[in-house]
Amino acid sequence: MSTGHTSETRRQLIRAFSSTRRRLGLTVGPSLVWLMLLLLAPLSFMIAVSFLKVNDAYQIVYEPTLANYGNLFAGSGPFWQSSFFQSLVLSYELAFVTTIVCLALAFPLAYLLARRGGRTFKVVIFLVLLPFFTMYLVRAYSWFLMFGSNGVINSTLMTLGIVSEPVKLFGFGKFAIIVGLTHAYFPYMLLSLYASLDGLDFSLVEAARDLGASRIETLRDIIVPLVLPGIISGSLFVFVPSLGAFITPRFLGQGKVLMIGQLIENRIDSLYAINYGGAASMFIVVSIVIAFALAFRYVSIEDLGGI
Amino acid sequence: MATETTSETGVENGTYGLLGVDRTDTILTYGLYLIAAGLLVFLWIPLLVMVALSFMVNTSTLFPYKGVTLSNYAATFADSSLMMALFHSVQIATIAAFIATVLGVLASFALARYDFPYKELYRTLGILPMVIPGVIMGIALLMYFRSLLSVTPGFWTVVVTHSVYGFPFVLLLVTARLYTFDRSLEEAARDLGADPLTTFRDVTLPILAPAVGAGFLFAWIRSFEDFIRAFFVKGTMNVLTTSMFSMIKYGTAPKMNAISSFIVFVIAIALVVAMNLGNVTEYVAGTEADE
Repeated sequence: MSTGHTSETRRQLIRAFSSTRRRLGLTVGPSLVWLMLLLLAPLSFMIAVSFLKVNDAYQIVYEPTLANYGNLFAGSGPFWQSSFFQSLVLSYELAFVTTIVCLALAFPLAYLLARRGGRTFKVVIFLVLLPFFTMYLVRAYSWFLMFGSNGVINSTLMTLGIVSEPVKLFGFGKFAIIVGLTHAYFPYMLLSLYASLDGLDFSLVEAARDLGASRIETLRDIIVPLVLPGIISGSLFVFVPSLGAFITPRFLGQGKVLMIGQLIENRIDSLYAINYGGAASMFIVVSIVIAFALAFRYVSIEDLGGI
Repeated sequence: MATETTSETGVENGTYGLLGVDRTDTILTYGLYLIAAGLLVFLWIPLLVMVALSFMVNTSTLFPYKGVTLSNYAATFADSSLMMALFHSVQIATIAAFIATVLGVLASFALARYDFPYKELYRTLGILPMVIPGVIMGIALLMYFRSLLSVTPGFWTVVVTHSVYGFPFVLLLVTARLYTFDRSLEEAARDLGADPLTTFRDVTLPILAPAVGAGFLFAWIRSFEDFIRAFFVKGTMNVLTTSMFSMIKYGTAPKMNAISSFIVFVIAIALVVAMNLGNVTEYVAGTEADE
């Protein structure tokens, strides 16, 4: 009885996967519905809200308006003095610097890993991945312990008698945020660069050197063009999350500097100001779309996944 | 390998040594090692300081040194609201990773094996949750749940949010495995008389299993460590990250060092296990056969 039942189920399952349309429906369908409901719909709704009127009780009045965008730049002074504009510029600045720092630091290590295989590779990758897999919040917190006028760096320097009063650079602020963001997103850059460098045929490098190219020329004319997809996708994976970062600037800025992610969180969490949050988020969303559109001129979506 | 190349060219062309090119190469090689070592120190030092502080009487700075204690850990594990939050995080991560894995494996088959209209668009949509900053995804979902659907945020809103967040990680790992899959193995099974289901169970699934396992693990960790998405859609409930955040909102806390270090230990062990099974290294370095 029970075996008859199972074979019936089996036949049904096999039949379900034998027609192309049903097979597609079964494989694509569930995730498509899920992503539509929980990704596309919320994002579309947010975009819609940013163009809609919201009353004082933060209820949506379905009336189109551009006021939400105007309000972002409103204030007592000209628009470049508004807190939104300042945060936006600061976020771009910090995300850009972080990307450059990650690129400069990750390239030598990725190059070394690509040229050395085996045990060394496994150990180094483990040492790089462990901090990477550690909770993002914990990593930001660990830097929070290091920085500050009473932080580990300053108190150690003072105990050792190297400095007599706290060094400002190791206090909370832009430098601390850049260090924290670099620490957080460095592995994305490393893995992207490694994936590209590992596929590089190093006999090309040797050929260039044998034919008389200098080291700089070899790097510029051979290595960089060949690993460009890795450089671009790594930069994208550092720049994009840095731009919208929240915890790192929250812990390491200590209110001295305000990145855009914090500004949005402030308005939503305390006021549920969804019109302000929606309009402000659009600036990040549009920035990301532009960054990806630029990147796609050089790499395909498969390259971005690190496949 | 860098040093090997240098010595080979040196032997082939004796004049290099005389011109001092060899020495430059040696300096550059040592320079590379120095940078690599410096980076590892940079990646590790804050975590090591934090772990050290978790065992110390003084909880925020190393000096003046006041002694070693386990009381921070005792206090942490005795904190019932923190342990409750930890339990919520584990539950949410497990359910969310399960949903992400089921949807991700099905979607991977479609992407790797079938052709259909708007395939690239679908692939982009699938990778999107990994790319959208957490703040944006969090507030978009909060608005959607609260203002459009009138759902009260809580346990299940975090679960579905994290299932979407984990989806791309499963998708990337499993499609990568399917692209390198030797389909003649399946054909051989079919030729030998196995029906499609048996073939799937005995041939396809065992080959795919490491990638599926790694995908589940990635999705699980992403959910477990996420703060910002959970922060917006959690309602009045707390997960581990959000209760940790409220602990340090206004400064350091001895319990924070202990719970953070505990997580580092657990993840270190999990990673050693995963790497020895080959899943994680394969993800970053390709399969052993490639090398």
